Amino acid sequence: MRLDDYIESLEPDEEAERRRLAKEKSYAITDHLEEFERNFERALSGDSLVGSTAPSIFVGRSSYPDVPIGVLSPVGDEDDAESYVTDGEWYRRGYGIDDVLQRRTGLLNSNKRADVDSPSVASRLAPSVHDAWDGFVGVQREVAIADRPVDLEIGLNDDPDLGLKPGADVATPRGPRASASGAELRENPHVPRPVKKTLEDDDWRAQGAMTYLYRRGFDVYEINSILSAGALGEADQRRLVPTRWSITAVDDTVGQFLRGRIRNAPSIDEVQVRANEYMGNRYWIVLAPGSWEFELVEMKAPGSIWNPNPDDDVWLQSASEGYEGRSSYVEETAGAYYAARLGVLEHLESIGRQAKCLVLREVSDDYWAPVGVWQVRESVRNAFEGVPGEASDPDLERAALAGEYGEAETFHAALDGLAPQLPISAARLRRKSELAAGLQSNLSAFSSPDG
Amino acid sequence: MFKAIVSAETLTSALDSVSVLVDECKIHLEEEGLEIRAVDPANVGMVDLSLEAAAFESYEADGGLIGVDLSRLEDIAGMADSGQLIQLELDEETRKLHIQIDGLEYTLALIDPDSIRQEPDIPELDLPARVVLEGKDVNRSVTAADMVSDHIALGVDEGEEFFYVDAEGDTDDVHLELTREDLIDLQVGPAHSLFSLDYLKDMNKAIPGDAEVTLDLGEEFPVKIYFGFAEGLGQVTYMLAPRIQSD
Repeated sequence: MRLDDYIESLEPDEEAERRRLAKEKSYAITDHLEEFERNFERALSGDSLVGSTAPSIFVGRSSYPDVPIGVLSPVGDEDDAESYVTDGEWYRRGYGIDDVLQRRTGLLNSNKRADVDSPSVASRLAPSVHDAWDGFVGVQREVAIADRPVDLEIGLNDDPDLGLKPGADVATPRGPRASASGAELRENPHVPRPVKKTLEDDDWRAQGAMTYLYRRGFDVYEINSILSAGALGEADQRRLVPTRWSITAVDDTVGQFLRGRIRNAPSIDEVQVRANEYMGNRYWIVLAPGSWEFELVEMKAPGSIWNPNPDDDVWLQSASEGYEGRSSYVEETAGAYYAARLGVLEHLESIGRQAKCLVLREVSDDYWAPVGVWQVRESVRNAFEGVPGEASDPDLERAALAGEYGEAETFHAALDGLAPQLPISAARLRRKSELAAGLQSNLSAFSSPDG
Repeated sequence: MFKAIVSAETLTSALDSVSVLVDECKIHLEEEGLEIRAVDPANVGMVDLSLEAAAFESYEADGGLIGVDLSRLEDIAGMADSGQLIQLELDEETRKLHIQIDGLEYTLALIDPDSIRQEPDIPELDLPARVVLEGKDVNRSVTAADMVSDHIALGVDEGEEFFYVDAEGDTDDVHLELTREDLIDLQVGPAHSLFSLDYLKDMNKAIPGDAEVTLDLGEEFPVKIYFGFAEGLGQVTYMLAPRIQSD
């Protein structure tokens, strides 16, 4: 459909409704914390958490390489452990910020410090994470490679630090933590065959192994957990990888693989604009004919979490790459860049086309707590597919627009059409955005007589 | 058959001006000298280089074609001091290049030319404006623009008759005007195009500060940049596709 019709059909009513609900629900978090405390006391037997189950792990970054490593377990909600794992399902269920925070704060991080290279005493003789399957690290690694929550018994040194005090400012939420003395498996974890294969093959470089798992249908969330536990790659390269780094590494690696797949693909043949909105973030994705080029521009509204002063101007950050990709890590936009790029590349690879792509992300003041980069990944992925919450409410009005896009004559005409929807002027966007300033042409466009 | 002796400086200049765009290239070993043409994988930047036989201390060739890994050849050439001579000889049997620098012998395995990206056709461009300036002014423009932006506009003001450089960043701007007095030559014509600094920075690296550099420009058209090296016996032409502002 035409771009202006498309924009018109994106009615903001739903967002306003969500905003209203968010205001009403803002006490849910504090109620939830009190409940967690009660559950925790019930589950504690002496200094052990019995009947616990851990769906995922966490590897911290502080004082690298001697980092905190932890198993994450829902306390008092063991039967529903699967739903505590961050993945695309959260988007499909249309979780709001509160829902995410409830799950995050409902996971107890029982942790110990470990060296990323030689995490257990036994492996100090041969300093490699490769063979460490004993002790707390071993249990943590079993949890990481299993494809379903693993039943555990966790020994604790002290009471958990809840992190969030009811009534306190909820600016940077994190879950409760406890220092673990040890952990024991209460079952034999189920490990999928392709994961066993990457685990056992210690001549296989990490990037190849990650790509293999992706092609075998594992989503980046699962691969991230396996990489984090040091369970793939060449033997002497294997180490524990802090969760945050591994998320970016997996997004980047899988993105590079997909970019290679479209390198020689034909271009799309029209300018397409798609929108998505989720958790106070709005996305515009503009695809234009030509060889691969990508840029993410983030516009952070005053009053949103990274731009807290309500009287400040909109903050802009951007990063881009050309046909051959980047050689340096992005200085601005960080992990969001790789997450957004992955979402776009998955779409292009699925249709066997390449394109120039500009992703505009507007962060409104409704985005009051950071939920993680998965939100960016799922919003961009689903701008090509489905609206948030489709799984729980298939009758959402915007669902009718899923897969639709607005067409424009040219890339710059598309930006002109979007300009009134953006929180910044077209001139300011042009100054910040490499693609808005100009799209890279190639020499063959000038070779033919009609040039 | 190919056998040549060349100063380290001349060889390094030639290789550097190609390696800013590609990792591997084909070298034509013509009777009259060397020729290299290459385009980067994105087909955005192109180089056309010739180095006359007279630029060598001695030169014998009969029209062969070799493929080389540029960074390896550059590394070897980098072993020589700037005044030193480098001797090159092609072994037709083994398809290897024997390189000698003052007793140091290096045998470089060549790459099958067929496995290297096809050489580009050079587009025939009718570019209305011509600016001739010193290499150091190109360097000054590119370096200043890079402080504020990732792209640079090059243009000619027809009314006031000057060449200009514009860079717009997030918050800061760079603007430079060079009039006839500042330039070696200026042919006025309609010209304004935007270019990626990633490419221009690389090309700039290969331009000697004291070289006379010619820029041919148009409106949203590629720029043609050419300059001589090795006392005018070598010639480099770059072509760079613009970033399009209107489409």
